[in-house]
Amino acid sequence: MSTHLYAFGSVCRGEIDRGSDVDLLACVDGPAPHIDPEKYSIYRHDRVRALWNEGNPFAWHLHLESKLLFSSDGEDFLTELGRPGRYRHFGSDARKFRTLFDQSYAALNESVRCTTFHLSCIFLAIRNSATCYSLAQERPVFSRNSPFLVEPALIMDEAAFAILTRARLLSTRGFGENLSAEEVARTQKAVETVPSWMDLLWSQAAS
Amino acid sequence: MDGLALESGGVMSEFNNRIDAQRQILAIVNMASRKEELYGLSVGAIDRWTHANGLDDGSEVVCAIREVAAKLFFLANKSQEQVTDEYRLRAVEVTDLALRIRDLVDAD
Repeated sequence: MSTHLYAFGSVCRGEIDRGSDVDLLACVDGPAPHIDPEKYSIYRHDRVRALWNEGNPFAWHLHLESKLLFSSDGEDFLTELGRPGRYRHFGSDARKFRTLFDQSYAALNESVRCTTFHLSCIFLAIRNSATCYSLAQERPVFSRNSPFLVEPALIMDEAAFAILTRARLLSTRGFGENLSAEEVARTQKAVETVPSWMDLLWSQAAS
Repeated sequence: MDGLALESGGVMSEFNNRIDAQRQILAIVNMASRKEELYGLSVGAIDRWTHANGLDDGSEVVCAIREVAAKLFFLANKSQEQVTDEYRLRAVEVTDLALRIRDLVDAD
């Protein structure tokens, strides 16, 4: 049974700060009870091959931003898979992230509770829209700042985007300073530009 | 936070359903006024909430939240794992747990 361990994501592009973690991937052939699923994303080799063949964004992420840490058989499994298939699902992914944005924005407007979580979901919708768009354009950007690195870029108060990023860290890591009511209000206002930007991405991708 | 929560070519509603379920659980938990809200169902967020509010890690409500988080597979906080088809939303179990958490929060 072969095992391949990789680091991937922000640590591989040097985009680190005090809230960053190290994303770890374990590729295995079968059950791996000795590997902690809270520390590693655990995938069977066959599943990774399938993600590669379908051009899944995660395959592209690993292809472009992963480093081999350990190989039980001396081989670099991911490198040997070569280039993933072409990403073909921007339409359905864009709809999904638009739904996430719309639902989160509506929830944010309806209640003063759970605002950090709603802003965290808005960050996810914005960032993933940009990254999937970059894949569809065959110019992948995986940075957490991807919305500002694609063309058309998101026009938004960058300080408010930093608040969205903090909300994401609070939600996924429990890390960081709580958001104030003023910060929530500022960000709620700033994300009003997002739907028209998502529409632009959609029309650009379709053209 | 860096891993992508991307589901490509899978069941479209799966991704949104899972987040919707998380939204509902958090709404229930945060109905109770506490020093700090629960910000998510990641291990880090649950740990923070437990400590910030002086709750016992072995209490029924904390255990129920950890259980529902595991069901929703947000615990791993490796967000790309939220997306693959293997991790189906176990809706009935999640609903049962949500009701239990609501009862616990109401009784608090």
